[in-house]
Amino acid sequence: MSILLNILKGRTEYLVVLFSLFLVLMILISLSMGYIHIPMLDIISILYGKISGNLHILENTSETYLTVIFDVRLPRILTCAIVGAALAVSGGLFQGILLNPLADPYTLGVSAGAAFGASIAILLNLSAAFVSVPAFAFTGACTTLFLVMFLSYSSKNPSLSLSSNNLILSGIIVAAILSAGISFLKFIANEQVSVIIFWLMGSFASKTWTDFFAVLIFLMIGLFISMFFARDLNLISLGAKSATSLGVDLKKVTIILLVTGSMLAAICVSVSGIIGFVGLLVPHTVRFITGPDNRKLLPISMLAGAFLLLFADTITRAVLPHEIPIGVLTALTGGPVFCWIFKKNRFK
Amino acid sequence: MKLNLHDIFFAYDSDIIIQNISCSFASGNFYSIIGPNGSGKTTLLDLISGFLNPGNGHIDIDETPVLSLSKKEISKKIALVSQDYAINFPFRVKDVVMMGRHPYIPRFSHPCGSDVEKVDKMMQICGIYHLSDRKINELSGGERQRCVFARALCQDTPILLLDEAFSNMDINHTLQMLRLVKRSVKEKNKLVISVFHDLNLASSWSDELLMMKKGGIKAFGNSQDVLTQQTIKDVFNVASIVEFNEHAQAKQVYYPSI
Repeated sequence: MSILLNILKGRTEYLVVLFSLFLVLMILISLSMGYIHIPMLDIISILYGKISGNLHILENTSETYLTVIFDVRLPRILTCAIVGAALAVSGGLFQGILLNPLADPYTLGVSAGAAFGASIAILLNLSAAFVSVPAFAFTGACTTLFLVMFLSYSSKNPSLSLSSNNLILSGIIVAAILSAGISFLKFIANEQVSVIIFWLMGSFASKTWTDFFAVLIFLMIGLFISMFFARDLNLISLGAKSATSLGVDLKKVTIILLVTGSMLAAICVSVSGIIGFVGLLVPHTVRFITGPDNRKLLPISMLAGAFLLLFADTITRAVLPHEIPIGVLTALTGGPVFCWIFKKNRFK
Repeated sequence: MKLNLHDIFFAYDSDIIIQNISCSFASGNFYSIIGPNGSGKTTLLDLISGFLNPGNGHIDIDETPVLSLSKKEISKKIALVSQDYAINFPFRVKDVVMMGRHPYIPRFSHPCGSDVEKVDKMMQICGIYHLSDRKINELSGGERQRCVFARALCQDTPILLLDEAFSNMDINHTLQMLRLVKRSVKEKNKLVISVFHDLNLASSWSDELLMMKKGGIKAFGNSQDVLTQQTIKDVFNVASIVEFNEHAQAKQVYYPSI
């Protein structure tokens, strides 16, 4: 096992192939599982027929299978995978910018902002106009980010402006105010309170192709920007002065990557509610395999995040007798795993 | 190459850190900045390296204002060994030293053969080659400082700024690094400005001393003129005996042990 790990270390290409295979396999397994079991061979031939445009194959398969795969399971599965991927990339970015391997996409209060926005939309019963809950969540997340950046920015003192400590402190303050706000909204919500609570716990039930493509666009742009600045992000971990003296425009890179990471987190929260621990656990664990170089860490984290969240969602959707909210499941399983990793590695 | 400071002023709100500093530094010389804690030594280096912008006045390299250059252009002219050498992530030593080549490696491309050669050479010179696969956050303070030193040398700049770059090194490594720096000043015509706390090392290794007090220049010139009982009393508020030492071939400062 350790020999295998050593071979994989430093070979990004192999890792990308390996994790992609895992992910594809997971998608196929997940497609076959559920209330109606669909045999693996049928799935492969249906997907092959659809992709190659060979309609003969599709004519021979049952209408139910087609509906279940393309209208129900595939949108949910792909949305789940892409959200996992985006959360993991976002977490990796935050860990890099905040110089803290224990940071996550929600450290700056983006989740609280999104939750606050969503709660308002639910409370005012705007969900009739179908995009409004995600749109409000997204607006809430962005507003929070800019408030946090405003609080921790100073044009006079570049060594403290947008520094890790200032960002984290501002994030905690803003999140604390927002969560009190959410409590207040729940208090005045009466019978709507359960809707708010369920939304906050996160779910991939009845996700559509629109959700998938929305996150996909954000992830593609976000990944490109992250990879563009990945080497600068490596240098930021040397400290503000050293990074600047090596030619990194610290202010520009920090702001761009903060906005990128937060936008990724914001779109995920808007689509699927608050799903914890993926953004923390995945980049943190992947770092043990790839090392801290963000050029390897970010793409591998993306694949691992997609795999992990899809695995969790498949369990709650198809294995457990009752579907439990995905956010609860990831926190209940991810939390203890993280405790174990933390205790094992932090005191070496 | 000539580095000129014109009437530099810098303050954080109402806290004045640097005022009325005008001086020039020429390549082929090793300069040392000495002065008590809080006298503005590090801030002066930060201003020269372009990390801080002066509130007033300007700095130029051969008539080109530093502020008109991009960060990348500055990084090809000025390297800095700063005091922030704590690194949170487990990068390997050779990766950290390779970061010194960052200004020369285009985006999305890998270091070329000459970059790798340069990194290997600098790690050998700084005596950290045997550590090249170790993780930077597992090294001692002095070893880490030598890595940062090697990184700055890889930047291959005509100007090198050292901010207490020897503070955690043992005397053997301190002297090795000083010899290395001195040689590059004389042979490659580099310009080195180093902040020192050890007055005797500063005196015996540098060509000129810049003594600072409360954000201004108290004295600037060769150690013969700058280091006197009077200036040391004025600036550091300690009694001392200053005399020429045959072995060091420079003035040395001795302090009474009571």
